[in-house]
Amino acid sequence: MALSGAFLHGLRRWGGRLRFAGVATAATLTPASYGGTTRAVTVRQIYFTASQILPWYLLFSVLLSGVIMVIVIAVTRRYGLAQYALELLLRVLVLELIPLLTALFVALRSGAAIGTEIALMRVTGEISEREAAGDDLLRREYVPRIAAAALSVMSLTVLSCAAAMLLAYVAMYGASPWGFDHYTRIVGQVFGIPTFVGFGLKCLLFGFAVAVMPISAGLEAAHGQMKSAPVSVLGGMVRLFFLLGLIEILALAAKYI
Amino acid sequence: MSEAPKSGFTRLPRNLGIRVGLLLGVTLVIAIGFVIYVLYARGVFEATQRVTLVADDAEGVSIGMDLTFSGFPIGRVTRLALAEDGKARIDIEVPRRDARWLRASTVFTLELSLVGGGKLRAYTANLQDMPLPDEAVRPVLRGDTAAEIPRLVASLRTILENVDQITTPGASLSASLENVRAITGRMAGKQGALAGILGSEDNAQKVLATIDRANALLGTLGGVSQKLDAVLANTDRRVFGEGGVMDETHKAVAQANAILAELRESLKRIDAILADAQAASGNVRAATTDLAALRAEVEASLRKVGRLIDEINRKWPFERDTQIKLP
Repeated sequence: MALSGAFLHGLRRWGGRLRFAGVATAATLTPASYGGTTRAVTVRQIYFTASQILPWYLLFSVLLSGVIMVIVIAVTRRYGLAQYALELLLRVLVLELIPLLTALFVALRSGAAIGTEIALMRVTGEISEREAAGDDLLRREYVPRIAAAALSVMSLTVLSCAAAMLLAYVAMYGASPWGFDHYTRIVGQVFGIPTFVGFGLKCLLFGFAVAVMPISAGLEAAHGQMKSAPVSVLGGMVRLFFLLGLIEILALAAKYI
Repeated sequence: MSEAPKSGFTRLPRNLGIRVGLLLGVTLVIAIGFVIYVLYARGVFEATQRVTLVADDAEGVSIGMDLTFSGFPIGRVTRLALAEDGKARIDIEVPRRDARWLRASTVFTLELSLVGGGKLRAYTANLQDMPLPDEAVRPVLRGDTAAEIPRLVASLRTILENVDQITTPGASLSASLENVRAITGRMAGKQGALAGILGSEDNAQKVLATIDRANALLGTLGGVSQKLDAVLANTDRRVFGEGGVMDETHKAVAQANAILAELRESLKRIDAILADAQAASGNVRAATTDLAALRAEVEASLRKVGRLIDEINRKWPFERDTQIKLP
């Protein structure tokens, strides 16, 4: 009895989370949601999530990509499979690893902060008060964070992928311009239309997930119970981790299976 | 966090909007640029022509695969379809600028290797041929390493079975080798190759003894032939030499001729006497007396001839059928 009760309770909570995710995502994608205040908050959020940390993140991304590229190119050359090295790097690094790492980075940097902020607002009763006062929390607080997280993930992904692609060219051909034709052909092979659309969709889902999941977790904190805040944030971050993994697995399955 | 100035943890820069705008702008430009680059890489902005390759089996071919010419990719597989006749049709888009490598006589091959995908290749022997027209349909020749292996293994197994049969202990080859070994073993012996061929040393010994005897015989024959030579020389001297049989015979014949001449003369005288007798029958008495003397002469001459013939017969033993024809 207790088991089925807990199961039903869990189902109800997942239903609530999904409903919130749907509503928040729809509001984020609606241009009318962006009033003056919302836009200002969004800009601030993007600054904190992406702009501020961009050089360090790019440096990290280039270092990681560089190390992986050197290893992959050396190993494939040793086994006489160097012609597959570039395709392998583009498929693994640019299409999969960098977007996932970026999403995890944004989740760590901003997702956790957003979750904590919302949980504290919930514990202190600020949310209840503002809701009672008729304040549109969805548009004023949630939409800017979700939009900022999504844009940040997209932006960091695009920039670090571009850096990785430049680095891949240099790692493969050095500074010679004569590798351009070969490089272009491999890029043309790797980035088909479905791959491209799938890549964009995955980045968008990552972006929404890193904000929606922590916000919905923060909203689960109990009013007046400070200890419920870390519990809800913790649960939210774990769910976010699994959600990101699930999106990645689904994207891979859709592409290769 | 949304109220950063109020929290006091982070100071917001003055040009916040510009920074964020710049970031999003750069991101957007890179994204659009990348989309255009990918479209360029996929040949969207390039005029192409289509070549359709017909294969019995499209295994190993995938969309996006390159068609290479001299190791350089000149086209890309865009579509795979199964035709009504059950054959695979491989549509390849070739940019116009690379289409010059494809001619009417170009041969297309599909090679499948053990590692990696298939390889579509074009071979043009004569670049002066007519250009390959757009929408051309050409057969593709398949070279399949993986398909060759079972066939190779099957042949190899047959060969190995044969080798196995040859090398089993009771096989004819090993028996032959045994024989060869026995022969060469005998050849290595005292009597050498002769023993090898004849089977045993005894036989070889016999052959050698026979040869020795033949040599001795030949030596004897040499002596005989020398004696024969001497005999023949002697005979030659006796028969044809001075004072020999021939010489004596020649003399006897000359003598016989002289005797015969004398006889002829005597007979002529008889003729004359007979004529005298015929003409003068009166002097019969005288004639009769002459006849008695003449008969004595004739008989003496005939006796001489008889003796001469006997002498010739004696001196000429080889001529058995001797005959003297009288005139």
